[in-house]
Amino acid sequence: MSISMASFSPPPTSFSVKPHFTHKSTLFLPLKRPFLFVSTPKVLPDNGARGSASVAAVEDPKPKQPDPVLEEAVEGSSGPKGAATSSEVEVLGKFEDPRWIGGTWDLKQFQKHGSTDWDAVIDAEVRRRKWLQDNPETTSNDNPVVFDTSIIPWWAWMKRFHLPEAELVNGRAAMIGFFMAYLVDSLTGVGLVDQMGNFFCKTLLFVAVVGVLLIRKNEDFDNIKKLIEETTFYDKQWQATWQDDTNSKNN
Amino acid sequence: MAASLLQNPLKTPFSELSIKKQKPCFLKPRHLTITATHPQLQGRKLRAAVIGGGPAGSSAAEALASGGIETFLFERSPSTAKPCGGAIPLCMIDEFSIPLHLIDRHVTKMKIISPSNLTVDFGSKSLRAHEFIPMLRREVLDSFLRTRAQSAGAQLIPSLVTHLEIPSSPFSPYIVHHTINNSRKTLAVDLIIGADGANSKVAKFIKAGNYTCAIAFQERIRLPDEKMEYYQNLAEMYVGDDVSPDFYAWVFPKCDHVAVGTGTVCAKQDIKLYQRGIKERVKNKINGGKVIKVEAHPIPEHPRPIRVRGRVALVGDAAGYVTKCSGEGIYFAAKSGRMCGEAMVRASDGGESMISEDDLKREYLLEWDEKYLSTFRFLDLLQRVFYGSNAAREALVEVCGSEYVQRMTFDSYLYKKLAKGDRLEDLKMVLGTIGSLMRCKIVGRHMEALKL
Repeated sequence: MSISMASFSPPPTSFSVKPHFTHKSTLFLPLKRPFLFVSTPKVLPDNGARGSASVAAVEDPKPKQPDPVLEEAVEGSSGPKGAATSSEVEVLGKFEDPRWIGGTWDLKQFQKHGSTDWDAVIDAEVRRRKWLQDNPETTSNDNPVVFDTSIIPWWAWMKRFHLPEAELVNGRAAMIGFFMAYLVDSLTGVGLVDQMGNFFCKTLLFVAVVGVLLIRKNEDFDNIKKLIEETTFYDKQWQATWQDDTNSKNN
Repeated sequence: MAASLLQNPLKTPFSELSIKKQKPCFLKPRHLTITATHPQLQGRKLRAAVIGGGPAGSSAAEALASGGIETFLFERSPSTAKPCGGAIPLCMIDEFSIPLHLIDRHVTKMKIISPSNLTVDFGSKSLRAHEFIPMLRREVLDSFLRTRAQSAGAQLIPSLVTHLEIPSSPFSPYIVHHTINNSRKTLAVDLIIGADGANSKVAKFIKAGNYTCAIAFQERIRLPDEKMEYYQNLAEMYVGDDVSPDFYAWVFPKCDHVAVGTGTVCAKQDIKLYQRGIKERVKNKINGGKVIKVEAHPIPEHPRPIRVRGRVALVGDAAGYVTKCSGEGIYFAAKSGRMCGEAMVRASDGGESMISEDDLKREYLLEWDEKYLSTFRFLDLLQRVFYGSNAAREALVEVCGSEYVQRMTFDSYLYKKLAKGDRLEDLKMVLGTIGSLMRCKIVGRHMEALKL
């Protein structure tokens, strides 16, 4: 029984991916981040290695500026006919980390017990992207970024993120399953083995499993409804010209 | 039965006609019955007015004039340079016989850059030797197409259309009021093609309804020579919340300068902020450049509710034929203009008989939707999945690293055909996409949790 329950915890399918995306897109629209003109000095991410120690092997010799000079920040651009690079906001310092070398993470510095500590790589990347989101950096041709998440092997992701969630969902499903089996037995007298043989019970079980996969939180109801609406919205806009047959004839 | 269908397409009910064509399953069955027969015009050809002389209008006028319809092409300012990216797909060169000397640059490399500056080279391995993305100046392309329409027989009228009188009966003419050299004139025509762009007046007169627009804002920057060398045949695409919340920012090379710009639908009031964001991101590469022009223009996001009413059809930007995700409009404008012109010629037997709204819908709208609706739908899906958040954009750039994805993208973009791919590679691509999306989403979630 537990084996079959364990098999009902596939990785989050595209169903659960998409609602989060659309949900996020509607969340982020009103929360426009004032990314450049915040007047409080940015605190560097709390990584002990990134103190005032000089950083080796960083090719771009730009000095770090812990207290950004923001008085020259102008709201609008300094006039359209000015030079393209005007003396505006000073860049708040590039992302620097001793383990970030040549546009990628130096995996040799992430060794733990002889093998790479992927969790630390993931954490470092999260911090880097968060820093860049708040302080967008100029791209440079000599120092291209080549690190992407596919460098981290799939089992590292699985172990860290999927398995705990799977354990949770399976545990909940098992508890509910046991309780429902007991309840049905006490109400109808049909034992567990006979329940599994009944078509109606099997259908209920299927619905319950699918429901648990798709709807993890209360918000998921609305997310799924919104997703369906959004998916068909563009199509409706295209078909609109065909819908108005009757209106145009009365014109 | 088949013979009678061929001889009198105007007399048979719509449902029988559709059997000839492959009706795609996503269209609901429609019932268009053509009840009246159309009178032959006595001793004159059909007259058509094409309002707007851009790629859509010129192609429509050329198709109409070559088909034998008396065509008038209205264009209020034939020499303005339109704000535009200026990229056309390769197939347009063949389909519209565009001479190669009009092309300013052959873009053979593209870079797509994620919010965390992950850079993916698009095209160095996956573009074939003879393939490139042509970049042209709009004024050059537009005037070439207009001249060609004129040599096909269309009359160019350089005036501003001010009013359109809608007739009450299905056979009386439309009256076009226009102003030329400060004098007001009128012109009576039987058919109208509205090709006057995103702020279409024709659409207003036929009450075609509104659409949401994105705004595209760009600055043309003249760079010093050594910086221009880098953009010799390279175009760049930047994604990120700092450059656009729901679209992308670009650096496109033009004849002797680059166009740096961005666009957005939902945050139009902050467009200057996003423009500053993109200039910051490319600061090192445009250092020392001078801004020579600033321009902005609305871009429609989806088609208008009504695209054909009476004997008026909308084409190009006026109809809203701009793809999502890439914002491509020139090819679809020219193609829709041509298809509409050809539809009118077909339905009227070369200008001999009057046509009706149903003819236009059947010959033009149906053909267009059948041909391109799936393309537009697919790009809408891509935009919704990949442009929603920084995490999704990171995933997009990761996915673009795959050579197969690049090859498929170029095949569909350059030739406007649904690329036939290898099944196994398709499956790998889909799984890879889902994997990238999931990984980047996890990273994104942790970024949220991280309080700096």
